[in-house]
Amino acid sequence: MDTINILWRNMKWRFQNPISILLTIIQPLIWLALYSAMAGQSMRNVSGGNYTAFILPGIMVLVAMACCSSGGYLNFIMKTKGSFYRILIAPVKRSSIVLGQLLEAVLLSLIEAGILLVLSMTMSVRIASGFAGLLLILLLVFLAAFFMSGLSYAISLCLPNEAIYETIMNLIVLSIFFTSTALFPMDGISGGLKIAVMINPFTHIINSLRSLILGSSVDWQNLLLVAALFICLCLGSFALAMWRIKKETDN
Amino acid sequence: MRAIEVNQLVKQYKNGIRALDGLNLEVSCGEIFSLLGPNGAGKSSLINILTTLYKHTSGNVTVLGKDLCKEPSWIRTQIACVAQRISIDEHLSLMENMIFQSRLYKVEDAEAKKRIDALIDSFGLSQYLKYPVSSYSGGVKRRLDIAMNMVSYPKILFLDEPTVGMDIVSRKAMWEIMRKIRDDFGTTIFLTTHYLEEADQLSDTICIMKEGRELVQGTPVSLRKYIHQNMLRIGFSDKEKTEKCAKKLAQTNMLPFINVRENSIYADAGEDRKIFENVNKWLFENDVSFEAVEITQPSLEDVFLKLTGAEGGVNKWIQ
Repeated sequence: MDTINILWRNMKWRFQNPISILLTIIQPLIWLALYSAMAGQSMRNVSGGNYTAFILPGIMVLVAMACCSSGGYLNFIMKTKGSFYRILIAPVKRSSIVLGQLLEAVLLSLIEAGILLVLSMTMSVRIASGFAGLLLILLLVFLAAFFMSGLSYAISLCLPNEAIYETIMNLIVLSIFFTSTALFPMDGISGGLKIAVMINPFTHIINSLRSLILGSSVDWQNLLLVAALFICLCLGSFALAMWRIKKETDN
Repeated sequence: MRAIEVNQLVKQYKNGIRALDGLNLEVSCGEIFSLLGPNGAGKSSLINILTTLYKHTSGNVTVLGKDLCKEPSWIRTQIACVAQRISIDEHLSLMENMIFQSRLYKVEDAEAKKRIDALIDSFGLSQYLKYPVSSYSGGVKRRLDIAMNMVSYPKILFLDEPTVGMDIVSRKAMWEIMRKIRDDFGTTIFLTTHYLEEADQLSDTICIMKEGRELVQGTPVSLRKYIHQNMLRIGFSDKEKTEKCAKKLAQTNMLPFINVRENSIYADAGEDRKIFENVNKWLFENDVSFEAVEITQPSLEDVFLKLTGAEGGVNKWIQ
């Protein structure tokens, strides 16, 4: 109940500040519409014909990361002119406070990933694995967003102001995005870069999403492995967020 | 049962600052308790500890008979705190802020509605219902902040310098609200302030603290000798003249207490008019070029000097 209450408060903020929704989706939309059109020609051979479908998984992960970064930003607003400290002394479990905020970022990520999916349909993208594939895509986006929102939440509580937070989150998001298979396939990469791409967990979630969009059958073994990896990461980032909020009262 | 009992409380921050240094105090149920102290006295640290936000380093604290260390969750259900900084969510409407707070404290919807209506009425907020919270003045926001914190009907309400920065009219309106909370809701109010007048007007009990320790605790009547002492002020045009006169005046032994601040000499004038007359006479006889001489009310600093035994301040000027 407390989680729902906090989620409701945060969603109210989000929908009263639609610019925050627009800003998190506009950059991924540019990638999807413009970059796929421009790079589509040269990438035709590596993407199996439809480069928009090829980069859609990476763009969905990018949108989730943007939403989650924006979720952490909410902490700064609530600290300076909101109920952040009031909630800390209310009879509310710390886990509900964290979960309420993380779920807001996750929910926004799912909404925006849904928008991207619908828009990509107009660009001839089809989900080859069908309705079951669609549900699995949403599940993977959920896991990616939950992990990232926990991380953003913890980072936001570690930093003194929103300017530093924004800079650091930009660095993290872009590093993750460009050292993954979001824009190009693994085959063409070698050496140190390949190792960096391989150890990036988002590479594996992007590959799984891609196989659900482009492939007609589901590779359950790979999917379960990726899901298990991200469940562990989600638990880790949630624990990190919990540790950080407890530190807020540990002066 | 006491609302709050604090024994030998110490709070040392990780940076080494000792904000509370063996503080003792007692707050009775249903009273307005004022904690008076200058900036940096440790008032906010104490409130943060009592409201379970911070952990203390050592000492014992009981709130409504329960140990703060052992039962912070239960204590949170019984208290509310209006922080120095207004904590309203400006993206929510007045009603949504109240509902959000009632849900945090698990007040049932029907009961919450009754309480919210009563509080909106009591705090004169009904005329603001249709406007966005972000458009409210500071005073109205503060009223809403307090009303919101009352929605759980807390047994103890902490108010951390609620009138700081307010003009005198708003401050007096706030005093009325605090009295109303005590009288109509039976809530114990724990108030921090650095205004002597505020503590004197409002409180059932006053505790004066400095540098993390209580200096004195009692009713306004029992502290009258500190709060209502007549202070004699002699004003000068510059610091040099002020200090020169303070030295001469100290040698006369006319005054038991002398303090120099901002081109003025402050002295304890007691209840006797004779001191005022004698000082005036002495000033004219010694041809001292002062700018003003008057009887004023003491500032916090005067009270502290008296409480910390700085009556010997006279000796400082006899050299």
